[in-house]
Amino acid sequence: MNMEKVVFGFFIVLAMTLNFGFFIGDIDNASHHHVYELYAAIIVSLIATVLKFGDRTQVGAILLSTSLAADLQLITAAILWAAFQNSMESSNLMVYIVSLSGGALMANFVSVVLLISETISQRR
Amino acid sequence: MNSILFMILRRLRRPIILIIVSFAIATIGLTLVPGVDDQGNVWHMSIFEAFYVISYTATTIGFGEVPFPYSQAQRLWMTFSIYFTVLPWFYAVGKIISLLQDVSLRQTVSAERLARQVRSLQEPFFILCSYGQSASLLVHILDEKGMRVVVIEQNQERLNELELTDTRNIILSLCADAKIPENLIRAGIYNPFCSGVVTLTDNDEVNLAVAVSVKLMNPSLRVLARAERKDIAANMASFGTDHIINPYTLFGEQLAMRVHALGTYILHQWLTGVPGDTLPPPENPPRGNWLVCGYGRFGKSVVENLEREQLTTTIIEAMPDLTECEKCVIGSGTEASTLLEAGIEEACGIVAGTDNDINNLSIVMTAKELNPNLFLIVRKNNRNNGALFKKFGANITMQPTDIIAHECLAHMLTPLLAEFLNLVRSQNNQWANSLISQLVDVVGETVPETFALTINATNAIAVSEYIKNGMQIKLQNLMQDPANREKNLKLVPLLLIRDGVSHLVPDQEMVVLNDDCILFCGTYDAKTALPASMNNTKTFNYIMNGLEIPDSLVWRWIKRITS
Repeated sequence: MNMEKVVFGFFIVLAMTLNFGFFIGDIDNASHHHVYELYAAIIVSLIATVLKFGDRTQVGAILLSTSLAADLQLITAAILWAAFQNSMESSNLMVYIVSLSGGALMANFVSVVLLISETISQRR
Repeated sequence: MNSILFMILRRLRRPIILIIVSFAIATIGLTLVPGVDDQGNVWHMSIFEAFYVISYTATTIGFGEVPFPYSQAQRLWMTFSIYFTVLPWFYAVGKIISLLQDVSLRQTVSAERLARQVRSLQEPFFILCSYGQSASLLVHILDEKGMRVVVIEQNQERLNELELTDTRNIILSLCADAKIPENLIRAGIYNPFCSGVVTLTDNDEVNLAVAVSVKLMNPSLRVLARAERKDIAANMASFGTDHIINPYTLFGEQLAMRVHALGTYILHQWLTGVPGDTLPPPENPPRGNWLVCGYGRFGKSVVENLEREQLTTTIIEAMPDLTECEKCVIGSGTEASTLLEAGIEEACGIVAGTDNDINNLSIVMTAKELNPNLFLIVRKNNRNNGALFKKFGANITMQPTDIIAHECLAHMLTPLLAEFLNLVRSQNNQWANSLISQLVDVVGETVPETFALTINATNAIAVSEYIKNGMQIKLQNLMQDPANREKNLKLVPLLLIRDGVSHLVPDQEMVVLNDDCILFCGTYDAKTALPASMNNTKTFNYIMNGLEIPDSLVWRWIKRITS
């Protein structure tokens, strides 16, 4: 049992699950989407990205790229939230935030699929 | 490059994760801790505000307590956050900076940058491996003559010296080991504009390694290598090294030339000289008995050549067993007693050829005291002692690096020049003297430009067209001044090669055919003016016929009507 692989897999899956947790619910209902969950999703996604640094294989490169795509969208969502918190109608704003997080979710999902396929192809 | 980048990214993981985690904990704590607003109500910071505060806290900027002064609980958490975030921040920043300064990363980056610069070179260039004494002299002469150079040198200090000197063109340099083929490739041996590789280090093994590598990787590229040992020279020759330079044998041969054919020697030195230099003054070494101090490679070469000229020699050597000297006077030559024993009072000249400059100077000074009429030849090893030798003013001061540089130039400037100088050596002294006076008449006393011209469609369009159409062009026509056909350009044709046959100093009435290669010697103005007449049909027509053809259709039509 490889400790490094446990940590690696843990953070990737956790990033996806937190992201999904934030995403699910009515798209324009602010009470369905808690800010702390977005916060946690961002932190874990960043850590997962950093863990993917320095991998020279092809799979490693794609994993890093999906992570970066997810980070970009989550951070954009957070910036929008912070900037327009007081100036926009909360349901309109929530639509933007949740749709961005939906995009990040897809990227995290691809990341997890790649992880699974890599694990299965290395049956040991 | 990539492997180092990946290694650095991997090493950056821990510091960055530390920052993320410490920031995350501090931020979330700050949102959870209750604050008091100006009306006394409980208030919580939003995540964004908390992140903002932690950002300027961890980076030690510290704006202040916004928007309301903090409650005790908030201040408590802030205190904890300060220690908790600032330390990882400094650790991470320090780690990142040290990784970026990693020596191997910087070397790889600069090597890649050099490789890119070399790839984008669009003019002919030479690669020099090492920046020692001879190489640095060669680099500066080549630069003066307008040629591009790429230097590979392992010692960063020597490259710094190169950077600080003033050069006409940018000299690209790489701080790396020239023996590694990867570095030779980066320096551009596969670049089609590379005209040759020169390796002049004082370590024969290194020169051998470089010569062999280049010849194996790009056999058609010219290689000039310095080799002082015969076995290494033979080894290099077996790989096909184009020119192997041995400064000691060269000096010996030059000394012999000076004894019996001074004109040839002067011609050689002049044509391969530094631009702006004047003719070397003629100093004919006398015939008689010579004393040679030091029987190393230099001494051996001198003795061999002097004896070939039928001059007698007496050798003075301090360690005869080491240098395999059969009959010699034992001593270093710096004491008067040794010199007297060798017969200095009857000798006509002395050669101080040890590898120690101070000893050499001491030998010649002692010798001069004992016999003021001696012809003094002294060997200078280190360029830094130049002032001493200059002040002393021996008849001939020999420096290995100068000889090597001149020999390299003879081969590098124009390939035909080496051929010409070879042929010159087989001519007699009178021939050489008459050529010199002819050259000085036309070109003047400063070092002239030597350049080659090939009569074909790429290099001399107009001439080659005329020849194809059956017109007879004489060598003299090529030399007429395009500005005034009554006068000649300041040029002298030195060599004409046709179908592999060389014609030395061809006559001006000689007919020029297509694919002839002509070596000219002339002033800089003549060199730049010649292509104008060679390539421009209108100009060449003026030279041949003295008529001016009008340029435009209209004028030609007018001319036809009126004539």
